[in-house]
Amino acid sequence: MTEIDVKQKVLAANAAAAAGLRETFARTGTLVVNLISSPGSGKTTLLEKTVAALKGSLSLGGLEGDIATERDAERLRKMGIPARQILTGGSCHLDARQVERALADEGGRLSNLDILFIENVGNLICPTGYDLGEDFKIVLLSVTEGEDKPFKYPAIFSKAAVTVVTKIDLLPYVPFDLVAVREQVATLAPDGRLVEVSATSGAGMDAWLSLLTDALAKKRAEIPAAGVAS
Amino acid sequence: MHEMGVAAEVRRIARQSVADRGPGRITCVRLAVGDLAAIEPELLKYAWEALVEGTPEAGATLEVDWRPATQTCRICGDLPGRAPGTWLRLCPRCDGVLSVTGGDDLDVLQVVFEEEDPVEREAQGGER
Repeated sequence: MTEIDVKQKVLAANAAAAAGLRETFARTGTLVVNLISSPGSGKTTLLEKTVAALKGSLSLGGLEGDIATERDAERLRKMGIPARQILTGGSCHLDARQVERALADEGGRLSNLDILFIENVGNLICPTGYDLGEDFKIVLLSVTEGEDKPFKYPAIFSKAAVTVVTKIDLLPYVPFDLVAVREQVATLAPDGRLVEVSATSGAGMDAWLSLLTDALAKKRAEIPAAGVAS
Repeated sequence: MHEMGVAAEVRRIARQSVADRGPGRITCVRLAVGDLAAIEPELLKYAWEALVEGTPEAGATLEVDWRPATQTCRICGDLPGRAPGTWLRLCPRCDGVLSVTGGDDLDVLQVVFEEEDPVEREAQGGER
Protein backbone atom coordinates (compact mmCIF):
# COMPACT_ATOMS: atom_id res chain seq x y z
CA MET A 1 0.00 0.00 0.00
CA THR A 2 1.57 3.25 -1.10
CA GLU A 3 0.31 6.75 -0.41
CA ILE A 4 1.20 9.42 -2.92
CA ASP A 5 0.79 13.04 -1.91
CA VAL A 6 -0.65 14.75 -4.95
CA LYS A 7 -1.94 18.15 -3.82
CA GLN A 8 -3.27 19.06 -7.24
CA LYS A 9 -6.27 21.20 -8.05
CA VAL A 10 -8.99 19.05 -9.57
CA LEU A 11 -9.74 21.83 -12.01
CA ALA A 12 -6.05 22.39 -12.85
CA ALA A 13 -6.62 21.61 -16.53
CA ASN A 14 -9.47 24.12 -16.63
CA ALA A 15 -7.36 26.66 -14.76
CA ALA A 16 -4.52 26.27 -17.28
CA ALA A 17 -6.89 26.82 -20.20
CA ALA A 18 -8.39 29.84 -18.41
CA ALA A 19 -4.92 31.30 -17.84
CA GLY A 20 -4.22 30.94 -21.55
CA LEU A 21 -7.46 32.73 -22.39
CA ARG A 22 -6.67 35.49 -19.91
CA GLU A 23 -3.29 35.97 -21.58
CA THR A 24 -4.91 36.22 -25.01
CA PHE A 25 -7.41 38.79 -23.77
CA ALA A 26 -4.67 40.76 -22.01
CA ARG A 27 -2.92 41.09 -25.37
CA THR A 28 -6.05 42.21 -27.19
CA GLY A 29 -7.31 44.35 -24.28
CA THR A 30 -10.67 42.62 -24.47
CA LEU A 31 -12.83 42.91 -21.37
CA VAL A 32 -14.45 39.53 -20.72
CA VAL A 33 -17.49 39.19 -18.48
CA ASN A 34 -19.02 35.87 -17.47
CA LEU A 35 -22.78 36.17 -16.87
CA ILE A 36 -24.28 33.65 -14.48
CA SER A 37 -27.89 33.32 -13.33
CA SER A 38 -30.96 31.11 -13.22
CA PRO A 39 -32.69 30.41 -16.52
CA GLY A 40 -35.08 33.22 -17.41
CA SER A 41 -33.50 35.95 -15.30
CA GLY A 42 -33.01 38.11 -18.38
CA LYS A 43 -29.36 37.65 -19.38
CA THR A 44 -29.96 37.70 -23.12
CA THR A 45 -32.43 40.59 -22.96
CA LEU A 46 -29.97 42.63 -20.90
CA LEU A 47 -27.28 41.84 -23.48
CA GLU A 48 -29.54 42.88 -26.36
CA LYS A 49 -30.16 46.25 -24.74
CA THR A 50 -26.47 46.58 -23.85
CA VAL A 51 -25.49 45.90 -27.45
CA ALA A 52 -28.04 48.43 -28.71
CA ALA A 53 -26.53 51.08 -26.45
CA LEU A 54 -22.83 50.34 -26.96
CA LYS A 55 -22.34 48.90 -30.43
CA GLY A 56 -21.91 52.31 -32.02
CA SER A 57 -18.83 53.02 -29.94
CA LEU A 58 -17.44 49.60 -29.00
CA SER A 59 -16.81 46.26 -30.70
CA LEU A 60 -18.79 43.58 -28.90
CA GLY A 61 -19.31 39.84 -29.17
CA GLY A 62 -21.07 37.02 -27.39
CA LEU A 63 -20.47 33.40 -26.49
CA GLU A 64 -23.74 31.75 -25.55
CA GLY A 65 -23.84 28.61 -23.41
CA ASP A 66 -26.97 26.48 -23.57
CA ILE A 67 -27.92 22.85 -23.52
CA ALA A 68 -29.86 23.10 -26.76
CA THR A 69 -30.79 25.55 -29.57
CA GLU A 70 -28.93 28.36 -31.32
CA ARG A 71 -31.55 30.79 -30.09
CA ASP A 72 -29.47 33.10 -27.93
CA ALA A 73 -26.60 33.43 -30.43
CA GLU A 74 -29.19 34.24 -33.11
CA ARG A 75 -30.70 36.94 -30.90
CA LEU A 76 -27.30 38.60 -30.50
CA ARG A 77 -26.45 38.26 -34.21
CA LYS A 78 -29.75 39.98 -34.96
CA MET A 79 -28.46 42.86 -32.86
CA GLY A 80 -25.55 43.10 -35.27
CA ILE A 81 -22.68 41.56 -33.31
CA PRO A 82 -20.74 38.31 -33.81
CA ALA A 83 -21.97 35.56 -31.52
CA ARG A 84 -21.33 31.86 -31.21
CA GLN A 85 -23.47 29.29 -29.49
CA ILE A 86 -21.72 26.67 -27.37
CA LEU A 87 -24.05 23.69 -27.05
CA THR A 88 -23.12 21.79 -23.93
CA GLY A 89 -25.32 18.81 -24.75
CA GLY A 90 -26.60 18.47 -21.21
CA SER A 91 -23.68 19.76 -19.21
CA CYS A 92 -24.68 22.38 -16.64
CA HIS A 93 -21.88 24.92 -17.10
CA LEU A 94 -19.26 26.16 -19.55
CA ASP A 95 -15.62 25.27 -19.03
CA ALA A 96 -12.51 27.05 -20.27
CA ARG A 97 -11.70 24.42 -22.89
CA GLN A 98 -15.10 24.86 -24.52
CA VAL A 99 -14.47 28.60 -24.65
CA GLU A 100 -11.01 27.98 -26.11
CA ARG A 101 -12.44 25.76 -28.86
CA ALA A 102 -15.25 28.17 -29.67
CA LEU A 103 -12.82 31.06 -30.01
CA ALA A 104 -10.51 28.99 -32.21
CA ASP A 105 -13.45 28.03 -34.45
CA GLU A 106 -14.33 31.69 -34.85
CA GLY A 107 -10.75 32.45 -35.94
CA GLY A 108 -10.12 35.56 -33.86
CA ARG A 109 -13.49 37.18 -34.58
CA LEU A 110 -14.45 36.89 -30.90
CA SER A 111 -11.01 37.16 -29.31
CA ASN A 112 -10.14 40.65 -30.49
CA LEU A 113 -12.98 42.87 -29.31
CA ASP A 114 -13.62 45.59 -26.77
CA ILE A 115 -16.01 43.47 -24.73
CA LEU A 116 -16.78 39.77 -24.98
CA PHE A 117 -19.86 38.62 -23.09
CA ILE A 118 -19.93 34.99 -22.05
CA GLU A 119 -23.47 33.99 -21.22
CA ASN A 120 -23.16 30.88 -19.10
CA VAL A 121 -25.69 28.03 -18.92
CA GLY A 122 -28.65 29.10 -16.75
CA ASN A 123 -27.61 27.74 -13.37
CA LEU A 124 -26.62 29.38 -10.07
CA ILE A 125 -24.48 26.48 -8.87
CA CYS A 126 -22.22 24.66 -11.31
CA PRO A 127 -20.77 27.57 -13.31
CA THR A 128 -19.46 29.07 -10.06
CA GLY A 129 -16.35 26.90 -9.89
CA TYR A 130 -15.22 27.25 -13.51
CA ASP A 131 -12.79 30.01 -14.41
CA LEU A 132 -13.31 30.98 -18.05
CA GLY A 133 -10.46 33.49 -18.19
CA GLU A 134 -12.95 36.28 -17.56
CA ASP A 135 -12.18 39.62 -15.93
CA PHE A 136 -15.10 39.13 -13.60
CA LYS A 137 -18.24 37.15 -12.96
CA ILE A 138 -21.62 38.84 -12.95
CA VAL A 139 -24.60 37.26 -11.26
CA LEU A 140 -28.13 38.26 -12.26
CA LEU A 141 -31.18 37.96 -10.04
CA SER A 142 -34.61 38.87 -11.40
CA VAL A 143 -37.21 40.25 -9.02
CA THR A 144 -39.58 37.41 -9.91
CA GLU A 145 -37.20 34.85 -8.38
CA GLY A 146 -37.57 36.00 -4.78
CA GLU A 147 -35.21 37.88 -2.52
CA ASP A 148 -33.78 34.93 -0.63
CA LYS A 149 -31.50 33.75 -3.46
CA PRO A 150 -28.17 35.28 -2.32
CA PHE A 151 -28.23 33.44 1.02
CA LYS A 152 -29.53 30.28 -0.66
CA TYR A 153 -26.76 30.31 -3.28
CA PRO A 154 -23.95 32.06 -1.37
CA ALA A 155 -21.06 30.78 -3.49
CA ILE A 156 -21.90 32.64 -6.68
CA PHE A 157 -23.08 35.77 -4.88
CA SER A 158 -19.82 35.97 -2.94
CA LYS A 159 -17.67 35.30 -6.02
CA ALA A 160 -19.39 37.68 -8.42
CA ALA A 161 -17.88 41.15 -8.69
CA VAL A 162 -21.27 42.51 -9.70
CA THR A 163 -24.82 41.53 -8.80
CA VAL A 164 -27.43 42.76 -11.26
CA VAL A 165 -31.01 42.81 -10.03
CA THR A 166 -33.10 42.61 -13.22
CA LYS A 167 -36.73 43.29 -14.18
CA ILE A 168 -37.15 46.06 -11.59
CA ASP A 169 -40.08 47.38 -13.66
CA LEU A 170 -42.01 44.43 -12.16
CA LEU A 171 -41.38 45.48 -8.54
CA PRO A 172 -44.92 46.87 -8.07
CA TYR A 173 -46.39 43.47 -8.99
CA VAL A 174 -44.23 41.00 -7.06
CA PRO A 175 -43.34 40.63 -3.40
CA PHE A 176 -39.60 41.28 -3.66
CA ASP A 177 -37.68 42.92 -0.84
CA LEU A 178 -34.94 44.91 -2.56
CA VAL A 179 -33.52 46.09 0.78
CA ALA A 180 -33.06 42.48 1.90
CA VAL A 181 -31.19 41.68 -1.31
CA ARG A 182 -28.91 44.68 -0.86
CA GLU A 183 -28.11 43.51 2.67
CA GLN A 184 -27.43 39.94 1.62
CA VAL A 185 -25.17 41.01 -1.23
CA ALA A 186 -23.29 43.42 1.06
CA THR A 187 -22.75 40.56 3.47
CA LEU A 188 -21.60 38.03 0.92
CA ALA A 189 -19.59 40.38 -1.29
CA PRO A 190 -18.49 43.42 0.72
CA ASP A 191 -16.35 44.60 -2.19
CA GLY A 192 -18.91 43.75 -4.86
CA ARG A 193 -21.11 46.13 -6.80
CA LEU A 194 -24.88 46.00 -7.07
CA VAL A 195 -26.89 47.47 -9.90
CA GLU A 196 -30.65 47.41 -10.32
CA VAL A 197 -31.97 47.51 -13.85
CA SER A 198 -34.91 47.03 -16.12
CA ALA A 199 -33.86 46.23 -19.65
CA THR A 200 -37.49 46.78 -20.65
CA SER A 201 -38.02 50.27 -19.20
CA GLY A 202 -34.37 51.30 -19.34
CA ALA A 203 -34.26 52.11 -15.62
CA GLY A 204 -30.78 51.71 -14.16
CA MET A 205 -29.24 50.97 -17.56
CA ASP A 206 -26.89 53.95 -17.35
CA ALA A 207 -25.28 52.60 -14.17
CA TRP A 208 -24.89 49.18 -15.80
CA LEU A 209 -23.38 50.56 -19.00
CA SER A 210 -20.91 52.80 -17.19
CA LEU A 211 -19.88 49.91 -15.02
CA LEU A 212 -18.87 48.08 -18.21
CA THR A 213 -17.18 51.04 -19.89
CA ASP A 214 -15.31 51.94 -16.68
CA ALA A 215 -14.07 48.36 -16.36
CA LEU A 216 -12.94 48.41 -19.98
CA ALA A 217 -11.12 51.74 -19.48
CA LYS A 218 -9.46 50.35 -16.36
CA LYS A 219 -8.31 47.26 -18.21
CA ARG A 220 -6.94 49.30 -21.09
CA ALA A 221 -5.11 51.56 -18.63
CA GLU A 222 -3.47 48.54 -17.04
CA ILE A 223 -2.36 47.22 -20.43
CA PRO A 224 -0.91 50.23 -22.26
CA ALA A 225 -0.18 48.29 -25.46
CA ALA A 226 -3.69 46.87 -25.68
CA GLY A 227 -5.25 49.74 -27.63
CA VAL A 228 -2.78 49.15 -30.43
CA ALA A 229 -3.71 45.49 -30.81
CA SER A 230 -7.26 46.21 -31.88
CA MET B 1 -23.66 16.14 -14.39
CA HIS B 2 -21.30 18.54 -12.74
CA GLU B 3 -20.09 16.04 -10.16
CA MET B 4 -19.53 13.46 -12.92
CA GLY B 5 -17.19 15.82 -14.76
CA VAL B 6 -15.30 16.49 -11.55
CA ALA B 7 -15.06 12.76 -10.81
CA ALA B 8 -13.59 12.18 -14.27
CA GLU B 9 -10.94 14.87 -13.66
CA VAL B 10 -10.15 13.29 -10.28
CA ARG B 11 -9.61 9.91 -11.93
CA ARG B 12 -7.42 11.46 -14.64
CA ILE B 13 -5.23 13.13 -11.99
CA ALA B 14 -5.10 9.97 -9.87
CA ARG B 15 -4.08 7.82 -12.85
CA GLN B 16 -1.45 10.35 -13.85
CA SER B 17 0.02 10.47 -10.36
CA VAL B 18 0.45 6.69 -10.09
CA ALA B 19 1.67 6.27 -13.66
CA ASP B 20 5.30 6.87 -12.65
CA ARG B 21 5.03 4.66 -9.57
CA GLY B 22 2.97 1.80 -10.95
CA PRO B 23 1.96 -0.66 -12.00
CA GLY B 24 -0.58 -0.81 -9.25
CA ARG B 25 -4.22 -0.57 -8.39
CA ILE B 26 -5.71 2.63 -7.00
CA THR B 27 -7.60 1.84 -3.80
CA CYS B 28 -8.45 5.29 -2.46
CA VAL B 29 -8.37 8.92 -3.52
CA ARG B 30 -8.47 11.66 -0.89
CA LEU B 31 -9.93 15.01 -1.87
CA ALA B 32 -10.38 18.39 -0.25
CA VAL B 33 -13.74 19.99 -1.05
CA GLY B 34 -14.58 23.50 0.09
CA ASP B 35 -17.87 25.05 1.14
CA LEU B 36 -17.89 27.29 -1.93
CA ALA B 37 -16.72 24.73 -4.49
CA ALA B 38 -20.29 24.01 -5.58
CA ILE B 39 -19.73 20.31 -5.02
CA GLU B 40 -21.94 18.02 -2.98
CA PRO B 41 -19.61 15.36 -1.49
CA GLU B 42 -22.21 12.56 -1.44
CA LEU B 43 -23.14 13.15 -5.08
CA LEU B 44 -19.47 13.23 -5.96
CA LYS B 45 -19.00 9.83 -4.30
CA TYR B 46 -21.95 8.40 -6.25
CA ALA B 47 -20.53 9.84 -9.45
CA TRP B 48 -17.15 8.32 -8.64
CA GLU B 49 -18.64 4.88 -7.99
CA ALA B 50 -20.56 5.00 -11.28
CA LEU B 51 -17.47 6.17 -13.14
CA VAL B 52 -15.02 3.54 -11.87
CA GLU B 53 -17.38 0.58 -12.12
CA GLY B 54 -15.97 -1.95 -14.53
CA THR B 55 -12.65 -0.08 -14.85
CA PRO B 56 -9.23 -0.79 -13.30
CA GLU B 57 -10.22 1.57 -10.45
CA ALA B 58 -13.35 -0.44 -9.56
CA GLY B 59 -13.76 -0.61 -5.78
CA ALA B 60 -11.48 2.36 -5.15
CA THR B 61 -13.01 4.72 -2.60
CA LEU B 62 -13.24 8.46 -2.62
CA GLU B 63 -12.64 10.18 0.72
CA VAL B 64 -13.71 13.79 1.08
CA ASP B 65 -12.08 16.19 3.50
CA TRP B 66 -14.64 18.98 3.92
CA ARG B 67 -13.17 22.51 4.10
CA PRO B 68 -15.60 25.09 5.45
CA ALA B 69 -15.35 28.72 4.43
CA THR B 70 -14.79 31.20 7.24
CA GLN B 71 -16.53 34.46 7.83
CA THR B 72 -14.38 37.19 9.33
CA CYS B 73 -15.40 40.52 10.79
CA ARG B 74 -13.45 43.35 9.22
CA ILE B 75 -13.92 45.54 12.26
CA CYS B 76 -13.28 43.38 15.31
CA GLY B 77 -11.57 40.51 13.46
CA ASP B 78 -13.57 37.95 15.35
CA LEU B 79 -14.43 34.61 13.77
CA PRO B 80 -17.98 34.01 14.89
CA GLY B 81 -19.16 30.42 14.95
CA ARG B 82 -21.35 29.45 12.06
CA ALA B 83 -23.35 26.32 11.42
CA PRO B 84 -22.27 24.64 8.17
CA GLY B 85 -24.18 25.96 5.17
CA THR B 86 -25.55 29.00 6.94
CA TRP B 87 -24.32 32.53 6.47
CA LEU B 88 -24.34 35.23 9.09
CA ARG B 89 -25.17 38.70 7.85
CA LEU B 90 -23.43 40.77 10.48
CA CYS B 91 -20.89 40.20 13.21
CA PRO B 92 -22.77 39.15 16.34
CA ARG B 93 -20.30 41.12 18.45
CA CYS B 94 -20.01 44.50 16.72
CA ASP B 95 -22.53 44.41 13.81
CA GLY B 96 -19.69 44.81 11.31
CA VAL B 97 -20.02 43.37 7.81
CA LEU B 98 -18.49 39.91 7.56
CA SER B 99 -16.19 38.88 4.73
CA VAL B 100 -15.84 35.35 3.44
CA THR B 101 -12.50 33.60 3.06
CA GLY B 102 -11.47 30.13 1.96
CA GLY B 103 -13.79 27.29 1.16
CA ASP B 104 -12.88 27.25 -2.52
CA ASP B 105 -10.74 24.10 -2.25
CA LEU B 106 -11.19 21.35 -4.78
CA ASP B 107 -7.92 19.45 -4.61
CA VAL B 108 -6.71 15.90 -4.93
CA LEU B 109 -4.69 15.47 -1.72
CA GLN B 110 -3.55 11.90 -1.83
CA VAL B 111 -3.81 8.74 -3.90
CA VAL B 112 -3.45 5.36 -2.24
CA PHE B 113 -2.52 2.41 -4.42
CA GLU B 114 -1.50 -1.19 -4.07
CA GLU B 115 1.63 -2.00 -5.95
CA GLU B 116 1.45 -5.12 -8.04
CA ASP B 117 3.67 -7.91 -6.85
CA PRO B 118 6.50 -8.09 -9.42
CA VAL B 119 6.90 -11.88 -8.94
CA GLU B 120 3.22 -12.48 -9.55
CA ARG B 121 3.34 -10.21 -12.56
CA GLU B 122 6.29 -12.17 -13.92
CA ALA B 123 4.33 -15.40 -13.44
CA GLN B 124 1.43 -13.96 -15.39
CA GLY B 125 3.77 -13.03 -18.19
CA GLY B 126 3.50 -9.34 -17.47
CA GLU B 127 6.13 -7.01 -18.76
CA ARG B 128 7.80 -3.94 -17.31
